[in-house]
Amino acid sequence: MTSTTVRTFRPARSATSRRKWIGAAFAVPALALFGAFAIYPMARVFYISFFDYDLTSAPRWVGLQNYRYLMDSDSFQASLTATVFYVGFTYVPAVLLALVLAVGLDTRLPGSGFIRLLYFAPVAMSWVAVSIIWRLVLQPDGLLNTVLGTHVNWLTSDSSAKWALVVTSIWKETGLFVILFLAGLQRIPPELREAAAIDGAGRLAIFRHVTLPLLKPVTAVVCVMAVIRGCQSFSAQVVLTGGSFDTEVINLYVYKTAFESARMGRASAVAVLLFFVLLLVTIVQLRIFRSRER
Amino acid sequence: MKQRRWISAVMSAALVAMVSAACSSSDSGGGGKVRLTFWTHTHPPMIDLNKALIKEYEAKHPNVEIKYEQIPNTDFNTKMLASLSNGSGPDIINMDDVALRGDYIPKNLLAPLDFKAMGADSQKAIEDKYIDGTLAGATGPDGTLYGLPTEFNATAFAINTEQFRKAGLDPADPPATWDEVAADGKKLVAAGQGGFNFLYLSAGQYTQQLQILLNETGGSIVDKAGKKATIDNPQGVAALGIWNKLINVDKVGNAHTASRDATAPFADFEAGKTAMTIMYPWGVGQIAQDNPATAKNMAVVPLPQVDPANPSGRWYGYYEAVNKASKHKAEAWKFIQYSASQSQRWLTDVNFIQPLKGWAQSPAAKKVPFLPVWEQAYSQGRFDEVGHHWNEVQDAVKSAIEDTVLNGKPADASLKKAAETINEALPD
Repeated sequence: MTSTTVRTFRPARSATSRRKWIGAAFAVPALALFGAFAIYPMARVFYISFFDYDLTSAPRWVGLQNYRYLMDSDSFQASLTATVFYVGFTYVPAVLLALVLAVGLDTRLPGSGFIRLLYFAPVAMSWVAVSIIWRLVLQPDGLLNTVLGTHVNWLTSDSSAKWALVVTSIWKETGLFVILFLAGLQRIPPELREAAAIDGAGRLAIFRHVTLPLLKPVTAVVCVMAVIRGCQSFSAQVVLTGGSFDTEVINLYVYKTAFESARMGRASAVAVLLFFVLLLVTIVQLRIFRSRER
Repeated sequence: MKQRRWISAVMSAALVAMVSAACSSSDSGGGGKVRLTFWTHTHPPMIDLNKALIKEYEAKHPNVEIKYEQIPNTDFNTKMLASLSNGSGPDIINMDDVALRGDYIPKNLLAPLDFKAMGADSQKAIEDKYIDGTLAGATGPDGTLYGLPTEFNATAFAINTEQFRKAGLDPADPPATWDEVAADGKKLVAAGQGGFNFLYLSAGQYTQQLQILLNETGGSIVDKAGKKATIDNPQGVAALGIWNKLINVDKVGNAHTASRDATAPFADFEAGKTAMTIMYPWGVGQIAQDNPATAKNMAVVPLPQVDPANPSGRWYGYYEAVNKASKHKAEAWKFIQYSASQSQRWLTDVNFIQPLKGWAQSPAAKKVPFLPVWEQAYSQGRFDEVGHHWNEVQDAVKSAIEDTVLNGKPADASLKKAAETINEALPD
């Protein structure tokens, strides 16, 4: 009995093991590419952040000097403030607006597919194209001032340029979150809402106690994406303001520091800090959503 | 099965052959052909002449092939520096003196001028052909020369004579001081004509314009040692004050509505939105090409001054230089020599003045419009200040101008903030 078991078991384990090795072998090219084009550059950025490196001469070890500089730098702190402002005032309204629109569009009425497509259209456009369109809209004699009857210098003053970027970005980004929320809404079985309605719950109560809790996984993804996308913003600032008027977000600061000022070590230090901040924020966001699930 | 193996073998061999061919191709191609790459910024009249010169040079030197690329002005310095740093840069570089003196020469990225390849006995023999001081834009601290100028600019002023007449002003009596620019500008605006404005484009251009005013008020951006910001001294405040007064007090131009297209710096002047603008020799050529109607009504006059009895101006130049990493330095210098030898065509075709001794007496110079004005401008100019990490200094200057001119902050406060940022950027 025992010998039979051994005879039947050994070949099975061997086959499984072989399949695992073959599977691993197939993954090697992808892993190698990931290692070469993602892991190595990241490790290199960490490494360079401890050097003074101007691209044209050999890197010089400076230890934590780049990090110490950033802690005292007014321009770095200004770019942090600009980033927090941009992320907060763009992505909080964009996510809330997307949720409202998604709930409104979660219907099978004729034409709803076309309306969803319209909301998604800005997402499919490049940031540069969107920014050029909005640069025309935001000109002193552009569409926005004409419609509002105002004379606001949207792109050339401290008081309005950051809001111009917020408006542009909400227009561009909301559609993406609408699609994500719609996908989440359509996975909620209609019977749950019907049952709640039969039990006497109103629309608002159904949304609050049935829909919203069941949307938590999608909401978590949306929130994480929103923060990461906000911190990665770059193109709109370059095209609309060039970083002037308190709109030099962190990515633009990194670009200017690295490629205009040729301070690669300092730029790498900013990138490292940004990486850890984003990692921390993402962990906190996911923990908040998980604790609410419990 | 055999057939499939055979096809596979042939395909593998073809792939190996293609890869080998790709790997073996270099800038010295078959038949000993020398392939040079040449980068310039974008300026349509210059591009046309460069293309013509390359064609002629290649016809005279069949063993040389020149790949000519134009990089948008706003990205030019960044791309050039990045490419030189990884060894992929062009053989021939066309770059402004601020970048050369601030970055390229101190960082040892350029090859010294090869006077032997250019058929001269010494560097001095080349230098002797040029007006004293004009090669300083491409000269290292030890006196080594790294480039020859294709264009050398001095600063003047342009007015639209038709708009002047419509406003009841005499174009033959142009403004000689900034106060007169304000007075004439107010009359022009009141008559429904264009006034005056500065350019609001790159940080470099903001800085160059403030440098014009700093030269006139006796101010500077940093001290002579390049160790400390001086832009917030009274002369600096006075310089920014002139700019601010023209725009926000006299209201001869609107900084918010000015064109911000870096490829068309004279767009507002060409469109009649301004009747006065700061002018460079190359600008005359560009306006003539882009807008002949405006060019017909344009007069170039001396740059307005704070003190006309003690005039000043700024010089800047673009120099052709050779990448230190080039494998064909001698061939690159030979092409530069050919380009530099066409000074008459640079004048007639592009309005680029090369500061060769006696240029103003040459046949081509006689055809240059407003020649006496340009001669005067050259006689009173000087190169801009420059130093380490000058990009950061220029960014700080731009922020100060925007803070005051576009956001209404007092000039002294804006410049104090700029000085702090500049001091942060300067080496200890």
